[in-house]
Amino acid sequence: MRALGVAAEGLSALGARKLRAFFMMAGTIVGIAALVVIMAVGKGTERKVMKRVNNWGPRAIMLISGGGKDLPPPDMTVTTLTLEDADAVREEVDDLELVSPMVWKLYTTIKHEAAQLRSVVWGVEPNWHRAYDWYVSYGEGITAEDVATLSRVCLIGRTVREELFGEEDPLGKRIYLNNVGLVVKGVLEERGTSPGGGDFDNKLVLPITTAMRRVLNVDYLGAVRLITAKPSLLSRQAEDIRELIHNRHHITPPQEDDFRIITPLIIAGMARGISRTLYILLLVLACLSLIVGGVVMMNILLVSVGARTAEIGLRRSLGATRTDIFLQFLTESLSVTLLGMLLGCLLGWTVCLVLANTTQISLVLSWQPYAVSVVFALLIGTFFGVQPARLAARLHPVEALR
Amino acid sequence: MIELENIEKIYRSEGVSTPVLKGVSFRVEAGEYVAVMGPSGSGKTTLMNILGCLDTPTGGRYLLDEIDMVKLDDDELSRVRNRKIGFVFQLFYLLERATTLKNVMLPLIYAEEYPADAEQRARNSLLEVGLGERMNYHPNTLSGGEQQRVAIARALINDPAIILADEPTGNLDSRSGIEVLSVFKRLHRQGRTIVVVTHDRFVAEHAGRIIQLKDGVVTEDKAVAEPRDPEAELQDPERREVAQ
Repeated sequence: MRALGVAAEGLSALGARKLRAFFMMAGTIVGIAALVVIMAVGKGTERKVMKRVNNWGPRAIMLISGGGKDLPPPDMTVTTLTLEDADAVREEVDDLELVSPMVWKLYTTIKHEAAQLRSVVWGVEPNWHRAYDWYVSYGEGITAEDVATLSRVCLIGRTVREELFGEEDPLGKRIYLNNVGLVVKGVLEERGTSPGGGDFDNKLVLPITTAMRRVLNVDYLGAVRLITAKPSLLSRQAEDIRELIHNRHHITPPQEDDFRIITPLIIAGMARGISRTLYILLLVLACLSLIVGGVVMMNILLVSVGARTAEIGLRRSLGATRTDIFLQFLTESLSVTLLGMLLGCLLGWTVCLVLANTTQISLVLSWQPYAVSVVFALLIGTFFGVQPARLAARLHPVEALR
Repeated sequence: MIELENIEKIYRSEGVSTPVLKGVSFRVEAGEYVAVMGPSGSGKTTLMNILGCLDTPTGGRYLLDEIDMVKLDDDELSRVRNRKIGFVFQLFYLLERATTLKNVMLPLIYAEEYPADAEQRARNSLLEVGLGERMNYHPNTLSGGEQQRVAIARALINDPAIILADEPTGNLDSRSGIEVLSVFKRLHRQGRTIVVVTHDRFVAEHAGRIIQLKDGVVTEDKAVAEPRDPEAELQDPERREVAQ
C-alpha cells in the first residue's frame, strides 16, 4: 500500500509536466517503433525464405550445367554435364537418397491436332517423381520400363492440358514434339507459378532416354537433382560434388566452372533480399536509439532532481525514507519508458500496417516485438533511472531544505 | 516530552571542524509553547534540525518521548518525523501540482498504514486552520498566509507530538504573520506542544517561554511574563507596528 502511494507520487510528477515527459520518452518511442517495424520485416523475410526453401526442397541439391550463379533453368548450350557424371556422383558421394538426372528443353512448340503451345520439356528418370515430390493426379507416372524401352509417352501439366485439350480427356492422346508423337499417360499435380513468375504447370515430362535419343538428340544433361539422406551433411556433400565434377571436367579454380550447384542455403540467401547483416545493423540502430533515449531521459531526470531538491527535502521531513524517494524517482523513469513503449508499439504497429498496404515488403506482425519491447522498457527505465533516483535518495534532508 | 542533554554539533569539512552547538540542554514539557531565539549563526537552525530529527548531533542525548533519537538510524528517524513531528517551514514547501487537500494528505503516504479516513482527516485539519473553503484550490491561488496555514494543516494531520516551526512568519507580511501566530496560539490552547525557531523577538514573545541561543550555547531560558495576544493585534493595528 505504502509503495503504491509512493509510486503514485512518481506518476503525478510526470503528469504535472507533460512536455517534459514527452521529451523524456521520445527516444523510447522512436526506438521501440523501429524495433517493432524491423522485427516485423525480419519475420516477414524469414517466412518468405522458409516458403522458398520449402518450395525448392529443403533436402535438394541441384547440379546444373552452365556456370554462374543463376537458379535453374540450365544453360542447354553447355554440353559437358553427362549421365556418367550423375553416375559418378551416385557412386562416390555418400548419403544421397536420390540422384535424378534430367534433360531440359525450354519453350519448345508442342502440338495436338490444331492446338499448339510453347512449353518446357523435361526428360526424366522414374525417381524424378520422388525427387520433386511431384506425382500424377490422373493417369500414371514415368516408369523404369518407359526409360528402358525409350517409350513414346509423356506426362503433362495443367496448363498444357487446358491449352491443348480443353475439356477433352488427354489420356491416350498424342502430342507432337519435334515430329515425335508422344502418348499422354498422366496429368501432373498442379504446382502454380514460380517466385520468378514462371508457370510450373506449363510442362511436358517424358522418359529421359526418349528425350535424349528420340526427341532432342543430345548426349548431355541439363541438371541432376539430388536429395540428401542427411540434411546436416548437405553443405559438405555439395562441396564433394563440386570437387568430383571439377576432377571429371578437368577444371582447376580459378578456371571458371561449367556447372553450378544450388543448395537450399543459396535459395535462402536469394530470397532474403535484405541481408542478415543489414537486418542486424538495423536492429542495433534501433537499440542505440533506445539507449540514447535512455540517456536523454536520465539527464532530464538528473536536472529534475536538482530542480526538486526542496520537494525531496519536504518529503523527507514528512517521513519519507531514502527508499521512498528512490522508488518515487524510479517509478517516474519506469513510467516514462513503459508509456514510451506503449506509444512506440502503437507507432510501430501503424507503420507496419501502412507498409503492408502500400509496399511489397513482406511483414509478419507477431507478439515477439512487443514482449521484447516490454523487457527493453523495463531494462532501460531501470538502468537509466537508478542513477537519478539514487542521487535523489542520497540527498540529506537538511541540505535539501536549505 | 523533549529532553536535550548537552547536545553538540560539530561540522567537519576538509579537516576544519566548526562547532555549531556546544552543549545545549533544556527540556520542553508536553503542551508548552516555546520559542528558540537567536541571531543568525547562533545555531538555531541546526538545533531545530536536530529537534526535528532531520539531523543527528555529534554529541549528547536527545530524548523524545523517552526514546533516544541519537541511536536511531535513518529509516527510524524518518518514521519518527512522520509520526511525531509536524514541520512548518519559512517557505511553506507546498506541492504546486496538488490541491490544498492533497498537500495536507501528503504525510499520510509515508505512514506505516494509509488511513481509511485520510481525506476526512485532511478536511478536519484544514478546518482547524480556518481553510475549510479552500480544499480544492491549488497553492499558487492562495495568499502567503493561507499557504502557511495549509502547511500547518499538513503538520497537524498525523497528530504530532510537537509542531516545529522554522521562521514561520519570515516570508509573510505582518498581518498574515499574525494570522499564522494566532493559529499557533489556538493550537497551543488545545494542548499542542509547539516549538518556534525565530530571530524575531516579536514572534518569540507570542510563546510562553523563550530560549535564547548565542554562539551555540543557551544564554537565557525564561518564561514570558505576558505572552502577546495575536487576536488583540489583529483588532488593533497599533500593536502590530512592533512587528515591522
